[in-house]
Amino acid sequence: MRAEWRLLGLLAASAAALIWAVPFAWMAVAALRPGVPADIASLTPAGPFGLRNFNDAWQSGNFPLWYFNTFVVCGGILAVQLVTITAAGYALARITFPGRDILFALFLLQLLLVPTLLIVPNLETLVSLHLYDTLLWIMAPYFASAFGTFLMRQTFRTIPRDYEEAAMLEGATVPALIRHVLVPLARPGLAAFAIVSVTAHWNEFLWPLMAVSSPSRQVLTVGLASFASGAEAGSAWGVVAAGTFLVAGPLLLLFLIFQRRFVASFLFSGIK
Amino acid sequence: MEPITRRAALGAALAVPAAVAFASTARAVSPTEIDLFFPVPVQGNLANKMRELIDRFNAEHPDVKATAVYTGSYDETNLKTRAAIKAGRPPAAVIMSANFVREYVINEEADPFDPLIEHSGKTPDDFFDEFWPALKSNAVIGRRVYGVPFQNSTPLLYYNVTAFTEAGLDPDHPPATWADWIAAAQALTKSSGGQTQRWGLMFPATYDYCGWIVSGLAMSNGGQYFNHDYGGEVFYNAPSTLGALGMLDAMVNRLKVTPPGVSDANACTSAFFAGHSGMIVLSTGSLSFVRENMKTPYRVAFMPRNVRNAAPIGGASLILPKGNSPERQAAAWTLISWLTSPEVAGEWSRFTGYFAPRKAAYDLPEMKEYLQQHPDAKVALDQLQYAAPWFDTYNTVAVRKAMEDQVQAILSAKTTPADAVQAAQKNADELLRPYVEETALKRLA
Repeated sequence: MRAEWRLLGLLAASAAALIWAVPFAWMAVAALRPGVPADIASLTPAGPFGLRNFNDAWQSGNFPLWYFNTFVVCGGILAVQLVTITAAGYALARITFPGRDILFALFLLQLLLVPTLLIVPNLETLVSLHLYDTLLWIMAPYFASAFGTFLMRQTFRTIPRDYEEAAMLEGATVPALIRHVLVPLARPGLAAFAIVSVTAHWNEFLWPLMAVSSPSRQVLTVGLASFASGAEAGSAWGVVAAGTFLVAGPLLLLFLIFQRRFVASFLFSGIK
Repeated sequence: MEPITRRAALGAALAVPAAVAFASTARAVSPTEIDLFFPVPVQGNLANKMRELIDRFNAEHPDVKATAVYTGSYDETNLKTRAAIKAGRPPAAVIMSANFVREYVINEEADPFDPLIEHSGKTPDDFFDEFWPALKSNAVIGRRVYGVPFQNSTPLLYYNVTAFTEAGLDPDHPPATWADWIAAAQALTKSSGGQTQRWGLMFPATYDYCGWIVSGLAMSNGGQYFNHDYGGEVFYNAPSTLGALGMLDAMVNRLKVTPPGVSDANACTSAFFAGHSGMIVLSTGSLSFVRENMKTPYRVAFMPRNVRNAAPIGGASLILPKGNSPERQAAAWTLISWLTSPEVAGEWSRFTGYFAPRKAAYDLPEMKEYLQQHPDAKVALDQLQYAAPWFDTYNTVAVRKAMEDQVQAILSAKTTPADAVQAAQKNADELLRPYVEETALKRLA
């Protein structure tokens, strides 16, 4: 009986995986077919195949610059976030102060806000800070993360206090305690957050489009759209697919390299 | 000092030798820096072409340094421009979807061109007479010029010549009336074993495109669709609109010559290229894309008429967002005059398929040659005599969607044309009320 359920579960999971994989498979096929073939929807076309689309996509924009900017933005956001969410998570998990629960509730409440709502207020703030049209401007609104703070608070709470008490007895200060005791133990939580953060900001379109104007500060998603989107006409699917590959490539590569660790982190932190 | 070092760094990042960038910015007379927001509404390498144009402009005008900023679709460009104005950093000029211009005027977020035009020695009336008359309603508002047309389009009927011959239709006489159109669509539709192999007609019905095509059909049916002179009225439940929706309903649900549901422009072109649709309705702005990718012979024709020939204008105009210094406005005017000059407008037209809004562009020898080589572009130009203004009201997007949602429901067989026009009118009136109460229904005493 149990074996049958297992088999059924496996089948269901495989079916879901297959459905999920179809767009990727099609993207791969389309990217390798030059021109605008008549049977563009086909998953198993006869050919001809070639790499011309990748060449066309690469020529359509300044990909090296876009990669660089996207790396800076995602890396910069993550670096600051790791510090802020660790500190805030620690405060909310371990320090007792008046209004702590209300503060935590406010953090959670912020998760309900649609980011689009904040475009104009954010722009106004950053103009007054003289951060107009800089990469820092794209990053700034994300330096604090309600989701990350929540995640770290929960992670810290799962760590037994015994470790901290032992360190305190040895004379550790709070920063040393966080740095040498809690952070190493919370590493899976931080890794899980890093994945969510990098993926979200790598793929983000609207805010970078709104926040910067100089072509030299464009990120991958906006760059891709500059030659891939067209409302009044049809698309050269092959070039779009190839461009999408160029944009998603580094993320896919990272995932393949760290696959096992990612899965372990997600299992640990319970994010699905 | 700060901006110079930053700009030098930028130059290095762009693989331009930093020294050159530094030297050019450190020249004695520094050029006025301006930014131009531009959307890419059609497929193709338009973003690169635009940057190439701006580079040429900068080389020819040492006193201005313009930067072309890609800002997404028409709607995203609108959003970004609004946000930038609100944040106190308006761009010097924007290529704005022509049907948003009226809203910028209503919201007092754009400056008129009149002083700049007068300064260059022309009256605003003379200036605008240089453009096709159909463009006026979306650009000259309250007798002042708020938009300078840059790229314009109308919907066209594209048809597959091979499919026409195969279906016993005469490719030299494309359908001119709705009755012919429906008959042709029926003849072209081919199915086997309950599966449609070739549809008679496809048209994009995604947001924006949907409203554009429906307004064209309502106008072909003798109607106005919206009040062209006042932003507070739409004629969604007029007989002319009802008849247009009835025609679409028949094509999709009764005769089944058009696929059900909402197709986007990509689906239409893909189907057309693959021979899966005998006719498509698409913008003239797609001419170059279709020309380059269609493998079998095709031709284009006017939008068929019921009561009269009509086709709505689409496309974009250059506007001046409020809040710029006189120097930046003067520099923007130099750029705008250059971009809309017959030579540049003609070049952009040949590259994209849009028609050139300035009439004089068509007197140039290269343009005459182009029209001779590409009779499809000639059809687009000829249809201009029947062109009508583009949908522009207060709160344009929401009011437009009030009808589009209903049309999409008809295409999915979820409502009837009679119910659809009532619901659309009711929702639109609701959305227009704040403006109407401030204007037409304002209590004066």
